[in-house]
Amino acid sequence: MHSEKIKNFLHKRRQAEQSGGEERIQGQHEKGKLTARERIDLLLDEGSFTEIDAMTTHHYYEFDMQNKKFFGDGVVTGYGTIHGKQVFLFAYDFTVLGGTLSEMGAKKITKIMDHAVKVGCPVIGIIDSGGARIQEGILSLDGFASIFYHNQLASGVVPQITISVGPSAGGAVYSPAMTDFVIMADKISTMFVTGPEVVKTVLGEEVSFDELGGAMSHGRNSGVAHFVGKNEYHCMDIVKTLLSYIPQNSTEEAPIVETGDDPNRLDTNLINIIPENPLQPYDMKEIISSIVDNHVFFEIHELFAPNVVVGFARLHGKTVGIVANQPMVLAGALDIDSSNKASRFIRFCDCYGIPIITLVDTPGYMPGTQQEHAGIIRHGSKLLYAYCEATVPKITLIIGKAYGGAYIAMSSKNLGTDVNYAWPTAQIAVLGSEAAVRIMNRKELDSAKDPAALKKQLVDNFTEKFANPYVAASYGTIDSVIDPAETRPALIRALDALANKRERRVPRKHGNINL
Amino acid sequence: MKFKLENTGENLDGEIVKSTGNNEFVLKIQGKERDLKIVTMTHDKVEFMLDSVYHITKYLENSTNRITLVVDGVKLTFNKRPEMDKIVYKNSGADSASDSQINLKSQIPGRVVSINVTAGDNVKKGDVVCVLESMKMQISIKSHKDGIVKSIKMKQGSSVAKNDVLAEIE
Amino acid sequence: MIKKILISNRGEIAIRVIKTCNALGIKSVAVYSDEDVNSKHVKMASEAYHIGPASPAQSYLNMEKIVETAISSGADAIHPGYGFLSENADFADLCEKKNLNFIGPSGKSMRLCGDKMECKDAMIKAKVPTVPGSPGIVEEVEKALNIAHDIGYPVLLKSVFGGGGRGIRLVHNEKELREAFEIASGESKAAFGKSALFVEKFLPKIRHIELQLARDKHGNAVHIFERECSIQRRHQKLIEMSPSPVVDQKTRDQIGELAVNAAIAVDYLNAGTAEFLRLDDGTFYFIEINARLQVEHPVTELVSGLDLVKLQIDIANGHEIPFKQKDLKVNGCSIECRINAEDTFLDFAPSTGKIWDVDIPSGPGVRVDTYLYPGCTVSPYYDSLMGKLITWGQNFEEARQRMTLALSDFYIEGVETAIPLYRTILNSKEFINGDLSTDFLDRFKILDRLQSDLKNEASQKSEPALAATLIHSEFLKNKIKPRKEHNIRWKTQVDRH
Repeated sequence: MHSEKIKNFLHKRRQAEQSGGEERIQGQHEKGKLTARERIDLLLDEGSFTEIDAMTTHHYYEFDMQNKKFFGDGVVTGYGTIHGKQVFLFAYDFTVLGGTLSEMGAKKITKIMDHAVKVGCPVIGIIDSGGARIQEGILSLDGFASIFYHNQLASGVVPQITISVGPSAGGAVYSPAMTDFVIMADKISTMFVTGPEVVKTVLGEEVSFDELGGAMSHGRNSGVAHFVGKNEYHCMDIVKTLLSYIPQNSTEEAPIVETGDDPNRLDTNLINIIPENPLQPYDMKEIISSIVDNHVFFEIHELFAPNVVVGFARLHGKTVGIVANQPMVLAGALDIDSSNKASRFIRFCDCYGIPIITLVDTPGYMPGTQQEHAGIIRHGSKLLYAYCEATVPKITLIIGKAYGGAYIAMSSKNLGTDVNYAWPTAQIAVLGSEAAVRIMNRKELDSAKDPAALKKQLVDNFTEKFANPYVAASYGTIDSVIDPAETRPALIRALDALANKRERRVPRKHGNINL
Repeated sequence: MKFKLENTGENLDGEIVKSTGNNEFVLKIQGKERDLKIVTMTHDKVEFMLDSVYHITKYLENSTNRITLVVDGVKLTFNKRPEMDKIVYKNSGADSASDSQINLKSQIPGRVVSINVTAGDNVKKGDVVCVLESMKMQISIKSHKDGIVKSIKMKQGSSVAKNDVLAEIE
Repeated sequence: MIKKILISNRGEIAIRVIKTCNALGIKSVAVYSDEDVNSKHVKMASEAYHIGPASPAQSYLNMEKIVETAISSGADAIHPGYGFLSENADFADLCEKKNLNFIGPSGKSMRLCGDKMECKDAMIKAKVPTVPGSPGIVEEVEKALNIAHDIGYPVLLKSVFGGGGRGIRLVHNEKELREAFEIASGESKAAFGKSALFVEKFLPKIRHIELQLARDKHGNAVHIFERECSIQRRHQKLIEMSPSPVVDQKTRDQIGELAVNAAIAVDYLNAGTAEFLRLDDGTFYFIEINARLQVEHPVTELVSGLDLVKLQIDIANGHEIPFKQKDLKVNGCSIECRINAEDTFLDFAPSTGKIWDVDIPSGPGVRVDTYLYPGCTVSPYYDSLMGKLITWGQNFEEARQRMTLALSDFYIEGVETAIPLYRTILNSKEFINGDLSTDFLDRFKILDRLQSDLKNEASQKSEPALAATLIHSEFLKNKIKPRKEHNIRWKTQVDRH
C-alpha cells in the first residue's frame, strides 16, 4: 500500500544522507577532513544518533539560490548518547554550500539548543564552516545572533562544548567563545575575526591561516582553545573524557567513577618534590598527580598561561576542579592571562556543582608596565570575584609561598573558602622576608656598620617568625597544618564532610564582575 | 563494523545484532551469529561467555579509533576505524601510539643519570640522548630520528615515568 | 648452634632462607626498607626491622645498620642471600669482628674471588684452565682499544667487580667499545663504588656450565653436579638446568675435580659456584667463583634431593658435610626459568609497578620461589627478579614439558615478563635437542620466532577479543554511573539559590 509514497520517501531520505553529494564528500576527504556525519559517528555511541530536520532546505531565491538547494542546508542536527549519556549536537556540513550558515541552518541549531535546555542535556557543536552565507545577507547575520542568544540562554544551565574541525571566521567565532569548552584540531581548524586577506589589505601584514588563528595559536596565545587535539580522533576522545567528569546539567551532580584507588593512600615522597631551597622551582603537576585517583589529571588550557594549572581530576571517584600555581613557570606568579584562565574555570565549576581544590605556591603578581597597562588590576580582580562568588565546596592547600595579594587571591579563608590546609613548608606572609626587611628596616640597614650581616639576621628573624603556617594557624585562617604524606586522605575527608554544602546569597539579577 | 587487529593485520567484521536484556547479547562476528552473556563486570574487568566458552577481559586503553585489551592473558589492539585513518592522518602525524614525531618519550620509568645532548645539537637516529637508571641497570635512551634537539625536558637526577617526554627533536 | 638468623636481603631469596629456618626451628629476622614495608618476607619472618629508606645504599647495603640490627635482635648469624652484601668482604669481616656467624666464605677468600684478575692468577697456579684476555685492569679506553685490536673483535668488556652478569658488554668494533666503556664504567661505579674494567676475547657458541660447590671448616670439599646456564641475555641468565645435556658422568667427574681444586685454591668455605665456559670442542675454561648461594640453586636441590640452605647452615655451625662425593647421584632433570619484570621487546628494559593479580602454577614437579602476591609492588629501586619457576622430571623431556605447561599457567598482571619468550624457547627444536649456547637468542633469532608465536596467539583470541570490544560500551555505561536517576531533579527543580 502506498508504495509510491514509500518509494519517494526512501529516495528523499537517501538523498538527505548524501549531504552535498559524493564529489564534495571526496573533496572533504582529500583535504584530510571527515564529513559531518562521520564526525557524529565517531563521537556518539554506535547507532545512537537520531537526526532531526534532515530535510530542511533554504527558501531563498536571490542569486540563483533556488537551484542550489540541498537537504539539511549545511547543518546536521540531532541527538544521541555518549557512553550512555544523552547529548544534543549540531555539526556544520562543509559539503553543503561550504557549511555556510543560513537562516534555516540557524533555526535548526537554535531548535536543538532549545531541546537541550528543555531536557537538561549538554550541547555539542562541531564547527567546520565557511561563515555567513553571503547570499542570504542579513538573514545569515541574524541567524548567528540568534545562536549567540541561545548560547547565553544555555550558559550555566547545560554544558556547551565546541569542537572546531575546520574554518570558522568573522562573527561565527563568537558562538564557540561563549561556550564552556573549545577543542580545536591542530592543522585543521582555524578561528579568527578577520582573515589573512583582509589583514594584508588593511595592515599590509602577511600571515598564514594557521599562524593567525590556528589551533596552536589559540591554544598558546589567546586561550580561545581549551584543548588542542592532535587530529579529529583525538578531539573526540577529549570530548568524551571531558563529559565523563561533568554532570548533564546544573541541577545534577557529576558522575561517580569507581577508580579503585585507596582513599587512605599515603605518599611519603610528596614532601621530597619541594626542593629545600625555596628559590628552586618544581613541577606542581607531580604533586597533583600523586594525590588524585590513579594519578590521572585531565588538564584544561594546558598551553595557555602555564603559570597556573587548571583541570579536572577525581578524588575517591568524585570529580573535583583543581586550580594550582605552577612554580616552574614565572615562579608561579599570577598575571593577567592566568587570572582569566583560573577565573573562567572556577565559574564553570561553580555553575555545575564541582568542588574546587586550590593548591598554592605563589610569590605574588608579575610586576611591570606591561601588566599594569594591560590591566592586571581589572583582570586580577576577576579571580577574587570568582572565588567569592563560588558556593561549591572550596578547599585550599598552601604548599609553599603565599605572599600578599596573591595569597588572598588564591582562595584564602576570608574569600569564603570552607577548609584551608597548609603544609609545614608553607610561607604565608605579606611579603617575602628579604623584601619585607628591606622596607621595614630600611633605616637600620642604611645606618648599620655591617649591613649584610644585619640584613641576614633580620631576614632570618622574619623568616622564623612569619614565613611559616603557624601564625595563620593560630588565627584560624589555616584550619590545619597537615602532614604532606596525608594530603590525599585529608582532602577526601574534607570533601566528604562538605558534600551537602549549601550557601544562600541575597537575590539579585546578577553581580557585576569586572570584565 | 570493520575492525583491524593490529597485532596481526587481520581485518575483522563485527556488530551487535541485538541486546536481549539481562546482560545477554547476540553478536555477529565474521558473518556468524554468536551468543554472549556477561557474567561479571567490575571497574576494570569483564567476564563473559561467548557461545559457552568462558573468557575474561581487561580493558587497558580506549580511544575513539583504537582499543587495547587483554583477553585470557593475551594483549590485543584493535583499530576501530581502519577506513578513516588515511583521511584523519593527512594533516597530522600518526596517532598517539607513534606521535613521537617531535617528542622523544621514555619507554621505562627511571632516574636520569646523565643527559648527553643539549638544545641545538645535531643528532642521528640511534645516538644516545641520555642514560636512565632503573632496577640497578643503566639504560641508554637513543634518539628515534635524525634531527636537531629542540629542548631537553628532563633534569639530571630526577625521576621520569614511562611515556614522559624526555626531549624534543625536530 | 645457630638459633637466630638475620637475613640481610629481600625478595624471593629472603623468603627462601626463612623457609629453611622454619624447617630447622631457627628464628628468622627480616630487614626492610621504606619500599618493602608490605613485602612478603617481612610478613613471614619471626621478627622484622626497618633499616632505612628505599635506596639500597641506605638500607640493604648499609652494613653498620644491618650489623647493629642483628646484635640488637639477638641474632647469632647472618645469611646474606645473593647480590647486595653477599660478596662484600668488608661485610664478612665486620660480621666476624662482631661475633656474628656469617653464613658464607671468609672475607679473605671473598676478596680473592671478587677480584677477577687475582682469582685468575690463583687458578693458573692451581692448573685450572682460564680464558685468554687482558693481563690486568684496563683503566683507560685507549688501552682497552689496543688490547681489543690485538685479540681481535668481538670482545667482552667486563667489570672486575661485576657479578651476576652485570658490567659485561659485548662490543663488535671501536665505536661500540668507546660507548660501552663509558657506560660500563658508570654502572660499575654506581653498583660497586669503583670502576675497573678488563677485556676478554669473546668466544662464540659457548656454553656456560657451572658447578655447585661446598666446603666445610674441616676441609672437606664436594661438588654437587653441574648446571647449564647457557640461555642468557645481556650476559645474564634466563634459563638454567641440571644436568647439562653435554656432560656425561666422566666429564662431570673431571670438571668436578677441577672445580673442587679451585675451591681449595682460594680456601673457600661454605656453598659457592665455580663457573666455566665450554667451547664447542669440549674444552672447559674457568671464569670465576661466585662466593655465594646462587639464584639458580633450586635446580641442584631438585636433582640432588638436598636443601642447600640447610647445608649452608650446617657448615656455618662447624659440622662436617654429611655426605661424601661418591654418595651423590644425579636424579632426573630440573629446569628453571627466571621470572623477571622486564619488557622483552624493549630490549628487556625494566618494567615496574603494582601487581594487580598473580596466578602461581603448581602440580607434580613444579616449584615456584617468589615474593609476588596480588597487590604487591615491583619496585624500581631493586633488581628485576620477581621469582623463579622450577620444574623437575624423571628426564629432560618430562621436565621441559612440565615447564611449558607451568609457564602457561603463570599469570602476572601489572608488569611485562619474558614468560611468552620462555614458551617459545622451550618449544623450539633447538632447545629440545640440547643445542644451547650463550648466543642462543641471537643464533636462532628467537625474538623473531616469539613475534610470530605472539601473532598466532593473538589470532586465536581475535574473535573473543572482538566480542569484548563490541560490548565495551556496556562496560563503560556500568563504570561511569550517574549519581541519581537521570534528570529527576531537572524535571522537578526549584530555584537552586
